[in-house]
Amino acid sequence: MTIALPKGKLLIDSIQLLSRIGIECSHVNEDSRKLFYDLPDSKVKIIICRATDIPTFVEYGSADLGFVGKDTLLEENKDVAELLDLKFGFCRFVVAMPEASVPPKLPSGEYDLSGLNHQRVATKFPRVAETFFSGLGMQVNPIKLHGNIELAPCVDLAEMIVDIVSTGKTLRENHLVEVAPILEATSRLIANRVAYRLKYERIQELIERLREDL
Amino acid sequence: MLRSNLGQRIPEGMRDLLPEEIVVQERLEKEILMLFRQWSYQKVLTPTLEFTACVQPDIEQDDSLYKFFDREGRILSLRSELTTPIARLVSTRMRGGAYPLRLCYGADVYRNTSVRHREFRQVGVELVGSDQDLADAEVIALAVEAIAGLGLKNYQFNLGHMGIFSGLMLEAGVDEGTQARLEEALARKDMVGVESWVKQSGLPTRVQELLLRLPHFHGGEEILDEVLEWSERPAIREAVESLRQIYRYLNDFGVQEYVSLDLGILRGFSYYTGAVFEGYVPGMGFPVVEGGRYDALYADFGVPLPATGFAIHLGNLLEQFPLPSTETADILVYGSKAEQIIRQCQALRAKGKRVEMVLGMIDGDVARKMAFQKHIPEILCVE
Repeated sequence: MTIALPKGKLLIDSIQLLSRIGIECSHVNEDSRKLFYDLPDSKVKIIICRATDIPTFVEYGSADLGFVGKDTLLEENKDVAELLDLKFGFCRFVVAMPEASVPPKLPSGEYDLSGLNHQRVATKFPRVAETFFSGLGMQVNPIKLHGNIELAPCVDLAEMIVDIVSTGKTLRENHLVEVAPILEATSRLIANRVAYRLKYERIQELIERLREDL
Repeated sequence: MLRSNLGQRIPEGMRDLLPEEIVVQERLEKEILMLFRQWSYQKVLTPTLEFTACVQPDIEQDDSLYKFFDREGRILSLRSELTTPIARLVSTRMRGGAYPLRLCYGADVYRNTSVRHREFRQVGVELVGSDQDLADAEVIALAVEAIAGLGLKNYQFNLGHMGIFSGLMLEAGVDEGTQARLEEALARKDMVGVESWVKQSGLPTRVQELLLRLPHFHGGEEILDEVLEWSERPAIREAVESLRQIYRYLNDFGVQEYVSLDLGILRGFSYYTGAVFEGYVPGMGFPVVEGGRYDALYADFGVPLPATGFAIHLGNLLEQFPLPSTETADILVYGSKAEQIIRQCQALRAKGKRVEMVLGMIDGDVARKMAFQKHIPEILCVE
């Protein structure tokens, strides 16, 4: 069974979780340049890849299982089975704007977004951004960036951003204000659709162990 | 003039088939169609391009059709599967036929989605005009034999039934919109979404538990008794007994060992109404066979008929087979006089040989080199 784990901040949590449920893999890390680990004792192979690529590896069946953020899952929109909320890696999708240009507030206390039609939104998640705004009956122009989204409003690349925040520190440092929450996300266990059927017993047993730990 | 950059590429998801690749695809297709013929299925073909209103598998869902306008401004689409066009064909051209009809096909389908191939070969069957469990068992057995006949190893089929889920929805008194959303989430296998929805649904605890258990009913006949312990509702009992009967028939067909019962399969196309099944091959991340009973589709065409069938995604299976080194010909003919070469080639072809004629004057060394490069086993010099 092959499990795909994401590089970056989710990796440590993923490794700890797997080790706790009996798949000892504490030696796995992304600094060693090794991208492929064989764990013969637990009959598991671990691959390490970019978070955004995990749904692809799993969809094609190159990995049977993957740990991935719900944020990535929503954006990539791949045909994979989403089996379990792993509860770690909590983050929120928000719309944020520069302090100087926040829209007026409605009587309900929420910001009035209706003046933001046809404005530019810098984001790593154009699908999420578009789904959110079209749900409000609005149209915006997403601009896809791959990092440092906060920079975009400072240099007039976009009027606002859609990004994930965990503490809000980065927003504050860049003089950005959250004007609307979009959704909350945590990490998920995903499976290839066919693997979930062909290796059902093994995967189900793993899910049970994960559930007990969570 | 040199073609533009776009003129030298092909669109994403499309593919060329080189000689050794098309040989494999045609061989597989021929073998499968011969098997279908043995089971008395007759081949039909529908147009590649039809009115969208006809080829939409499900008029209420987003589709993945390639669409065009004709001169009158009507919307046309490339077929994305054959079941719906064949329903149109039977309802209009073969109405009043000797039912049940057994039809089969081998054709390219087109899907404007991001997943892998957007054009690929499908072979499949439709058994139209029978609501018998035996009809379901027949097509499932045929699907298993088709995959087995290709020499693939460790394939597996999973068999479920839409009626258990819909019976459960009936029992819970869930409205149609909610049922559709839940069905879609289950079909996508979004278990996290299903679980959180079910827990907030306010449904009776027993229904909640059963809904969450549904994807985990997986195994042999024993799971059917387990389902009956949960609910004796007539719709559910009927589905369970039908599944039991089909599963037993599969034993008589000698294919039961390759089929597991799996109540977690709900197919994406919502036209399925009864037994549904999928075939898997290790190493392929997608089901290679998809099929099931669709008793409501023909009514959409004005001729209510029960039907069942399946499609094999042949185009996606090609990578499972080693490419043969194709001989371009049996014999290479060269010489010094064109008319003699032509006459010799024609004589050999008349005897059934595959003959490659050298165009131009070459000597024996060049001819041998050419034959070697082209994997032609024999050389003939005409003097």
